[in-house]
Amino acid sequence: MKIYPYKRLSRSIALRVTSVSLRLSDGTRDRLETSAYSTQQQAVALGIAGRTDWVSATIGLSVTLPPGVNAPDAPWSELCVLAVLTDGETNVRTSVNLTLDTEGGHDWSGALEVLRDDHRGRASLAVYAVGTVDGVRGRSITETDRSWIIDTVSDEPVRDLQLEVRQASFKRSSREWLHAYADAPWIVDTSARVPTVLVNTDIEGVMGLLDSNSSGVESKVRDLLVAQMATDAWTAVFHGAIGDLEVESGGGPVFPTDWQGEVLREMLPDVIPGVHVEEALRQVHRRRTGESGWVELQTRIHYAAVRRADAGKALAYAIRSLEQKNRESET
Amino acid sequence: MITQPNHVPERLALLGTSAVDPFLTEELLRGEQVHGGIDLAKVVEPLPEDDARWWIEPIRSLVEDAMFAFREDRTRADAWLAPRLHATLRLTRREAADKRLWNHLALAVAPDYIVWRHLPEVTAKQPEPRVAAQRFSGPADRQCFSRLWWAAELFRNGPDYGPVEIACGNQDLIHTVLRMDLIDHRPTAQALVRLLKSGQVTTGREVNGLSTAINTAGATLIYDILAPDEPHDPATLRDWIAEAESAQPVDRHGLPDGPDEDPAPEESVAALTGYFAELFETAPIRGRESGG
Repeated sequence: MKIYPYKRLSRSIALRVTSVSLRLSDGTRDRLETSAYSTQQQAVALGIAGRTDWVSATIGLSVTLPPGVNAPDAPWSELCVLAVLTDGETNVRTSVNLTLDTEGGHDWSGALEVLRDDHRGRASLAVYAVGTVDGVRGRSITETDRSWIIDTVSDEPVRDLQLEVRQASFKRSSREWLHAYADAPWIVDTSARVPTVLVNTDIEGVMGLLDSNSSGVESKVRDLLVAQMATDAWTAVFHGAIGDLEVESGGGPVFPTDWQGEVLREMLPDVIPGVHVEEALRQVHRRRTGESGWVELQTRIHYAAVRRADAGKALAYAIRSLEQKNRESET
Repeated sequence: MITQPNHVPERLALLGTSAVDPFLTEELLRGEQVHGGIDLAKVVEPLPEDDARWWIEPIRSLVEDAMFAFREDRTRADAWLAPRLHATLRLTRREAADKRLWNHLALAVAPDYIVWRHLPEVTAKQPEPRVAAQRFSGPADRQCFSRLWWAAELFRNGPDYGPVEIACGNQDLIHTVLRMDLIDHRPTAQALVRLLKSGQVTTGREVNGLSTAINTAGATLIYDILAPDEPHDPATLRDWIAEAESAQPVDRHGLPDGPDEDPAPEESVAALTGYFAELFETAPIRGRESGG
């Protein structure tokens, strides 16, 4: 819990996305369907229309400040509300001032411009209420408690980073480094733009299985397989990210600013439960680089990956489906 | 010391990080031997043919000039190369965030430069020094070339690369500050450079102390309010990138011009420079009496 040397509001800001449109290279606009954003997931997917010729996206925002912000005895003045978009991968920080909807109200709105050239993957969007407190300008009085994710590529507004599954013939691929893995059904590539599972199409029937849309046992086996791949992928991502940690001059590790950091923040609570993610990161780093404790941690890392991959659910459904099948063949 | 690979490609391409390993050999890191280039060429993904930006020749000639001009003091090559690399290799930030591009530049085009620039001296403690692998393939603020490109991108003031020269002349600044989020706010970056230029902040310890203080104060202060920045027009950068087709080689003596974007608003930079100077007065700096 942060301690502030001035009075703040204890409740946070509610942020909603109200519209999304793309400006295309020919100057026209394409207004995206409401399925491009999800309030529940707090995510926007700019790739939903499948376009790559857009120049910028305009995201309509509406926010509600918590009660008390307009109280006559409030210790702040010169209140303004700022939406800030940040992207650790491209070092972008853009901010826009929102405007008050009706005098004396709590609702503010505005539009944020997202430039396609400025992002490669996911950016995050936060809103701050800022005022002058005790004569100090620029004090943050309250914020959104969770940032929205603006994904410039994804076609589905989901908060958690999704695995990309791609296929290739490992034996015949023009990417020669794949030849070395010709007998593996899949491999994980954690160095791509997003964590990627490459499925080897040389294994007969594997693509048919993965693409299957049936509702029977086959699809449950597919889900089980996908969960297995995902477990592999998240384990590899975790190890990769921990192995590449940057250490501050004081000796503490810092979160990566790209999606690796995002994944670490999600998985660490399962690896070292009950502490802040920053502390969890320090502990994991200490165990890896220190003299002991790294081996013991492997079970926890695997556990976090299994949970992240929903492997338990996939297995349960597969078993149930097999039982059903057996029952059917008995009767 | 190694030379360039026997086979240097004509055009830049993308080299996936998963494919890097076989070429990042112990011999290369020790600066003893480099791969021939032929095998590497087989594992890259090509970039579009019709784009003049991917010609290797201008980049190769830049790094060769840098190695010649700064043979007595290689650290100083950073301040010279950063703006010129940025003006030669014209990229959007989206493109520059692709590590595969930097992997290729490092391993296929100029591994000799990385060894020249980053191989530590032989010392009693380190009789067999080696270049850190992340100088070839690693985080954006560590990899040899992407670090310079990003320093130029984040410290240029519109078309003016002057602040980049000053920032890159201070190894602590680009080593510590490039990694921090605070630098993503243009007026903050320009204010830091001004304090450096005026001599108010000089040593590495002072730079580190000040950036920590800025960061700490930034936890409760929103600098965008104290020092607003203007949004930039993506068309300006696109035009500049398109001009790469006909651009002359960058000037070796004078500084080149960057994209014709508006500089950070003067009032904002001035306000923050004053504010940071005050912060610096009271910031705890290792080796300095408290309170300045």
